[in-house]
Amino acid sequence: MTLTGNPSLLIAGIGEMVVSSSSDSHLVSYGLGSCIALAVWDPRTRVGGLAHFMLPNGPANASSPVKFIDSGLDTFLRAVEARGAVVNRSILKAAGAAAMLTVGGGLAIGKRNSEAMNAALAGRGLSLTATALGGTAGRTVQLEVVDGRFLIRSLSSVTEL
Amino acid sequence: MTLTLSEAGLNVVAGTFGRAMKRAGEALGSMCGEIIEVQTPLVRRCTAADVLPMAGGPESVVLAVYVGIFGSLEGHALLLFAPEDAHRLAQILLAGLLGPGELPMEVTDDVLVYDELELSALQEAGNVTISAFLNELGMHLHEPVQPTPPQVVVEMAGAVLDAVLLDLVSDADQVLAAKTTFSEGGRAIDGTLFVLPRADSLRVLLDALGAIGI
Repeated sequence: MTLTGNPSLLIAGIGEMVVSSSSDSHLVSYGLGSCIALAVWDPRTRVGGLAHFMLPNGPANASSPVKFIDSGLDTFLRAVEARGAVVNRSILKAAGAAAMLTVGGGLAIGKRNSEAMNAALAGRGLSLTATALGGTAGRTVQLEVVDGRFLIRSLSSVTEL
Repeated sequence: MTLTLSEAGLNVVAGTFGRAMKRAGEALGSMCGEIIEVQTPLVRRCTAADVLPMAGGPESVVLAVYVGIFGSLEGHALLLFAPEDAHRLAQILLAGLLGPGELPMEVTDDVLVYDELELSALQEAGNVTISAFLNELGMHLHEPVQPTPPQVVVEMAGAVLDAVLLDLVSDADQVLAAKTTFSEGGRAIDGTLFVLPRADSLRVLLDALGAIGI
């Protein structure tokens, strides 16, 4: 099990999202620390999306559509639906929201991101079926559009969520 | 706060940061008794996403010494090394402290594992380097600039940097990132120093430099 290979990689950088209905697409976010990645996959239409959110709340931002969870979540869900997914029957998973640095105590943004994601989804009648949130380890995540597999790599391990 | 800084203002900041980064390299060099070459600093005003390639990409594994900056100038400083380079630097520093033949280091196959002495030496290297940077900057400021105690993490560069970037971009679209590379040619040790100041702190620096309004 590796996170790279021949399939076409679509990368969601910090504050960005990627959506695909192509069976050879792997949607990837590299090096998540306190950021939070949300993966959506519709098992019926086999459409997937991955968004790399940065912060809990703030105004909609044209250059980074999913910078903020509160203003960017609907943008992301609409983009996934526009490609043919139905969010209500989709599988939602999230990873990230770690606390990398403890110095100063002011950087505990990961916990706030985690809470904001759960609250924003609950407000839309949605919930996460699996999560890898918190802790102190960085993560790289990958959603395989063909079968919805969601893989998480840290420095010490690769796991399927 | 939006980072409104003219090109001329950016040049003033770049020049001052450049001199401070040179001091930082000299401090690291004198700490390990080696000549350290300091690359011309790169100062960029850019998005958070643009900072990650400056650190070698989000997935490159680094040993990072993090120091928070507060006082009249606020922000974040990170001294990054490739894992192998960090081991070599720790060995030089510990040999200087303990004398030859007295290294109690356990050699492991895992390059990502450091013993406590190594971590302590690297923490101190970050502390000395970043403090030298801040001391030079402090000469221009009327109020003191304080570093937090250093913290060492071994992680993907993206994961270390995003904690810092998120703190800076909550109310700004762009960040100011200053970076230089220190090289010790003989033992092939390269380190990268990043300094990311808060946008509103830059006003204070420009004011102190007599460059406000440019």
